[in-house]
Amino acid sequence: MDAVIRTVGLRKSYGRTNALDGLDLEVTAGEIHGFLGPNGAGKSTTIRILLGLARATGGTATVFGDDPWRDAARLHRRIAYVPGDVNLWPGLSGGEAIDLLARLRGDGRSVAYRDERARLLEAFDLDPRKKGRSYSKGNRQKVALVAAFSVPADLLVLDEPTSGLDPLMEVVFQREVRRARERGAAVLLSSHILSEVEQVCDRVSIIRAGRIVDDGTLDDLRHLTRTQVSFADAGGDLPTLPGAHEVQRRDGRVHLTVDTAEVASLLPALGALGIQSLRVEPASLEELFLRHYGSQP
Amino acid sequence: MTGFRLLLRARWRRDAVQLTIWIAGALLLAASAVVGVRGTFPDEADRATLLATAVANPVVLLFRGLPSGTDEAAFTAFLILPFVALLAALMSTFLAVRHTRGDEDAGRAELIAATPAARTVPLSATVVHGILANIVLGALVTTTYVAIGFAASGSILMGAASALTGIAFLGVGLVAAQLAASARTANAIGVWAVLLSYLACGLGNALGTPSGDLQRMTSAPLAWVSPFGWAENTRPYDSDAAGRLIPFAGLIVVALALAFVLSGARDVGGALLPARRGRAVASVALSGPIGMVWREARSSLLGWAVGGAIVGVLSTRLASAISQIGDTIPSVQALLQSLASQGSLAQGAIEVFFTLAGVLAACAGIQTVLRARQDEAAGLAEPVRAAGVGPVRWAGAYLSVAILAVVSCLAAATAGAAVGQLTTDASQTHLIRDAAVAAAGQAIAALTLVIVATLVVVIAPRLSLPVGWALVGIATVVGLFGPLLGLSDAAVHASPFAAAPRIDGDSLDLRGGTWLAVAVVTGVALLAAAARRRELAPER
Repeated sequence: MDAVIRTVGLRKSYGRTNALDGLDLEVTAGEIHGFLGPNGAGKSTTIRILLGLARATGGTATVFGDDPWRDAARLHRRIAYVPGDVNLWPGLSGGEAIDLLARLRGDGRSVAYRDERARLLEAFDLDPRKKGRSYSKGNRQKVALVAAFSVPADLLVLDEPTSGLDPLMEVVFQREVRRARERGAAVLLSSHILSEVEQVCDRVSIIRAGRIVDDGTLDDLRHLTRTQVSFADAGGDLPTLPGAHEVQRRDGRVHLTVDTAEVASLLPALGALGIQSLRVEPASLEELFLRHYGSQP
Repeated sequence: MTGFRLLLRARWRRDAVQLTIWIAGALLLAASAVVGVRGTFPDEADRATLLATAVANPVVLLFRGLPSGTDEAAFTAFLILPFVALLAALMSTFLAVRHTRGDEDAGRAELIAATPAARTVPLSATVVHGILANIVLGALVTTTYVAIGFAASGSILMGAASALTGIAFLGVGLVAAQLAASARTANAIGVWAVLLSYLACGLGNALGTPSGDLQRMTSAPLAWVSPFGWAENTRPYDSDAAGRLIPFAGLIVVALALAFVLSGARDVGGALLPARRGRAVASVALSGPIGMVWREARSSLLGWAVGGAIVGVLSTRLASAISQIGDTIPSVQALLQSLASQGSLAQGAIEVFFTLAGVLAACAGIQTVLRARQDEAAGLAEPVRAAGVGPVRWAGAYLSVAILAVVSCLAAATAGAAVGQLTTDASQTHLIRDAAVAAAGQAIAALTLVIVATLVVVIAPRLSLPVGWALVGIATVVGLFGPLLGLSDAAVHASPFAAAPRIDGDSLDLRGGTWLAVAVVTGVALLAAAARRRELAPER
């Protein structure tokens, strides 16, 4: 598969602070790539370097095989970007801002663009005639999203794009992201909303203190974690089960964890116990996330 | 009442540095005037000559106070009272908008309004805060002059006149903040109100009736519409006419009452001037970075061009007024002849006015390039730069519109000069030529400053706002008022405004024109090199 984004040992320092400290990230065409990490881990710095708005201190970054700093303007024709904190021109209406950004990318007058823009305005339920300063946070976000989705970009860089959107719009957003993937675009989706990442992302990279600490498909990541198992029984002593960890009784149920690879071998033992209402849950993304950050003070 | 005290204290803390700078600036100006007078006009004869020149040449009176005799203290008041009052007025309108509409824009007002503090408390706290700031300013002005050894009664009037002018424009700013939908518009209304009042007073003084010995001037009625006119007509250290301050009470009460009534009649964050809806689809003009900057700047550019046109009309109108006074009053005629050796007085008037037009053009240009920094800090540069606009093209867009701003302001001034001349005396068309040459010279001067400001935006973005405006401020004080403050010629000519080419008699006096042109070309080359390496610097 073609790597759309590839960084190797990417470093960026501001004075003495190292915002990025050897970051390796790879995003391929036709995938939605989740980019997870707490505030200050280096997500926005990475995005800024990939967009050619900041220059790396060390390591390499390529976008479509080119240097994003040197070839920024040319690359930008293929990239659509939604910033995390959308600011609009106070004097421009939302519709004008959308058109301006499209025209800067070299589109904005084609019939295809106009149709797509009209469809998206309808889908996101956005009034294009309000002035920038009178939009609410969610509506400013929608302006940026319509601007990004209305041009046929090969790479979408979305920096926490759904903060401030209501659940209905979240659904519209996920539909549009999948649409972009279907036409072969790569999507880098930085997000704090783990359920969103779980639902739309094909692969995930978790960043901590300027490095990628884990990456792969959700199944890959889950493989390294334990599965949660709980059931109700008749009470009494805690049962002894093969491969079980952290066995405890809470709210009338027995809770335990088991290595994901060992789940199958646990099932016969559970059957022999005569249990009720068995629940088996693979690790959620939240648990994966906390596993990497839980040790932080 | 605790809410009121808390909010008042919060305002003091937030403004501590800023108000200290404003007030210190006013005091520095007040004290430096005395130093200038003692250095440049040490005896009565010197002062009498300058007063006679001023009375005979209304151009000087536009920017200075009301001539009230040759006494050292009264002469100082003539030179500096309008400026100190101007600083108080600007300090106060900005203060008024910052703590009302500015807080609403930033969403802070909502946080306060949701607490048990009554609806009017933030406004009352701002009123008291602004009045206190002006009282401090006035008291320190008085103290300064008493310490220098000037009479107490006149010094008290100097302080009171400055403080009351400030409080009057505090009221104007508060009303503007209630009317306008954004802090930017409210500030623009406030600044225009201050400048138009200043100009009305200056014109009123210039068109007034001089005394026979050319040492005093009686303001024309026009000066009485302006708070600056009330302040200056107290004539500190001369007649000490404190009664002339009475109109302030009326204006202040009306403006403050209006502000409270209006604030009670609208929603928090709402405006009485409704926000207009925009276009659903962008026009063809809004297709690139230049179109974007043009859209942001066009209404201010129109304002600066109107300012330029007014200055242009005044230049030729007053030039002819000078010669008319010269025809009717023999003592003025004698004075005019003694000065006529260095080009005609009418040419001198045009030069002074076009220097002012150059200052306006530089302000227009610098305001436009500083938008680059403001947009960057507001997060508006990021989406544009991420949409295929490289750093050179991005900075170049602001510079291009800034050049347009400079040129349109001075073109408007030249057109104004032509209109002013043709409607008074169509035979003196050579003055229009002089105006055009002066405009071209000032364009180079203004461009020099604009390019330096653009370099600062590119190289040291966080410093660009204070440095950019300081550049114009210093160049203006040195170039336009340097001679009156007793600066040497070499120092004065360091200001691009004073170094610009002009017409002297019938020949072109190039002066520093070559150097300015070299500076412009070098600046552009440096800019192109520096912009290429520019990263985005969104942090404030």
